[in-house]
Amino acid sequence: MDHAAHNILRFRDVTVRYGATTALEHVTVSIPCGSLTAIVGPNGAGKSTLLRSILGWHPLETGEIRIGDTHTEHLLPRLAYLPQRQTIDWDFPITVRGVVEQGRYPALRWYQRMGSEDQNRVSRALAELDISELADRQIRMLSGGQQQRVFLARALAQGADIFLLDEPFAGLDLHATDELAHILHAWEAQGRTVLAVVHDLALARAHFRQAVLLNRQLIASGPIEAALTPANIDAAYRGGRCVHDDPLRLTRTAHFPE
Amino acid sequence: MSTLHHLFVEPFTFEFMQRGLLSAVLLSLSGGLLGSILVLRRLALMGDALAHSLLPGVALAYLLFGANLVALFLGGLFAGLLTTAGSALLSRLTRVKEDAAFGSLFVVFFATGIALVSAMKTRIDFMHFLFGNILAVSPADLWLASAACVVTLGTFAVFHRSILLETFDPVFHRATGGRGAVTHVALLCLTVVNLVAALQAMGVVLALGLFLLPAVTAYLWCDRIGQLLATAVGVALAGSVLGILLSYHVNLASGASIVLTLGAMFFLSAIASPHYGIVARLRAERREARSVLHTAD
Repeated sequence: MDHAAHNILRFRDVTVRYGATTALEHVTVSIPCGSLTAIVGPNGAGKSTLLRSILGWHPLETGEIRIGDTHTEHLLPRLAYLPQRQTIDWDFPITVRGVVEQGRYPALRWYQRMGSEDQNRVSRALAELDISELADRQIRMLSGGQQQRVFLARALAQGADIFLLDEPFAGLDLHATDELAHILHAWEAQGRTVLAVVHDLALARAHFRQAVLLNRQLIASGPIEAALTPANIDAAYRGGRCVHDDPLRLTRTAHFPE
Repeated sequence: MSTLHHLFVEPFTFEFMQRGLLSAVLLSLSGGLLGSILVLRRLALMGDALAHSLLPGVALAYLLFGANLVALFLGGLFAGLLTTAGSALLSRLTRVKEDAAFGSLFVVFFATGIALVSAMKTRIDFMHFLFGNILAVSPADLWLASAACVVTLGTFAVFHRSILLETFDPVFHRATGGRGAVTHVALLCLTVVNLVAALQAMGVVLALGLFLLPAVTAYLWCDRIGQLLATAVGVALAGSVLGILLSYHVNLASGASIVLTLGAMFFLSAIASPHYGIVARLRAERREARSVLHTAD
């Protein structure tokens, strides 16, 4: 990055503990405004914890997380959180439009109904993600990629400018993965900030510009190629608790004898 | 015409039948809403266990204060919360998992309740507590049912969006500043309120049938939450009124007739629901098999 980017999210010396286990240890990192950033690292590295601590879900033992001068938990309307796909009950009696309308709920008081401005925002979000024709479908009646787009549309309808995605690529097929990457690139071009937990290093390399490499501590951050060097990856994954997170295994399969 | 009159109108010329009908309408309104949310939150079995566990609290309140509605409600609430909190605590402090802890606690509570009720003077009380009798509800019971109904409808009217968000996507609810724990505890309290209100009409064993069966029946027909709630209330109304009539004409226990009527509606729906029923499923599978054969040709 040759110009000094304005940093929208700043973590300073963030430590999070669950009882005796430390999830994040003195993490200091800044997320540039309008960047497309992947949070990568082995299982238990604190990737999801980092994302959720932005929403104020985990008490910080040390440090702080800010947007500008304000602590992030006071700016929830600017933050859209996209949950993991498998936490959703796809049989729930709700239509695509019904889900996207939920994006407007936080802005409504209990006695207010959805106004025409709210309806317009919902329609715009549906149109932007090209799911207007599916608006009346029950959410089970969609492909995996379409389901993902419904939740992205809900995030848009919320009117947020910072998007926190928890493993958005999990369980998507190849086509849906490309589709999602395309959408995220479009959002980047529009100046939206996206911060996503990505489990797969290859996916992160292929589709993201910036990376935050974690293993409880910050290992590296910055432009993706500079951050995900073999030395850094080795440092992050060495002593990882899960075999499939070991990047060496990828190398072995690549050299499998024919 | 006269047979219709005999079947459907004449029974309701009696005051006890009118009271039963009013009780059914009130309980159906709140039970249909609450049951739908319990089903969607996958708390159907927990709700049933909770219903059983209320018995000692309600029985103790009855022994100490008689048919005092506030005492009955607080007794039930206390027993219910004790079961919930107790099982959470047991599962944290011991090796026992939460479902096993809950299952063990509620059955102990239920047994305690039965022991307490069996110590009462008359057998009639015993049967009432377990199975209720909607044809013997008193004006005081109707007041309690009205109060439960108003509280439930009011809560749903004010908090419908929080309830929907917390049920559909608790993570999103929390991420947008919602208080999931408050919603959860509020729903739990509402369940206890309605169970206590339904005690006289349905008893602790059958009360949840009036809440759950209409909800699962509606779940087989509806693809929108609003539709689901309305349908569940409608099914509860139809089932309880038909059940009361069945009980009157054939002289069956009223709670059982209502649950059996609702059960029949559920099984019919499970077979014949156009999208989610057994017949529709089999038909779709056959169609799929045929299209696979065609493409293979």
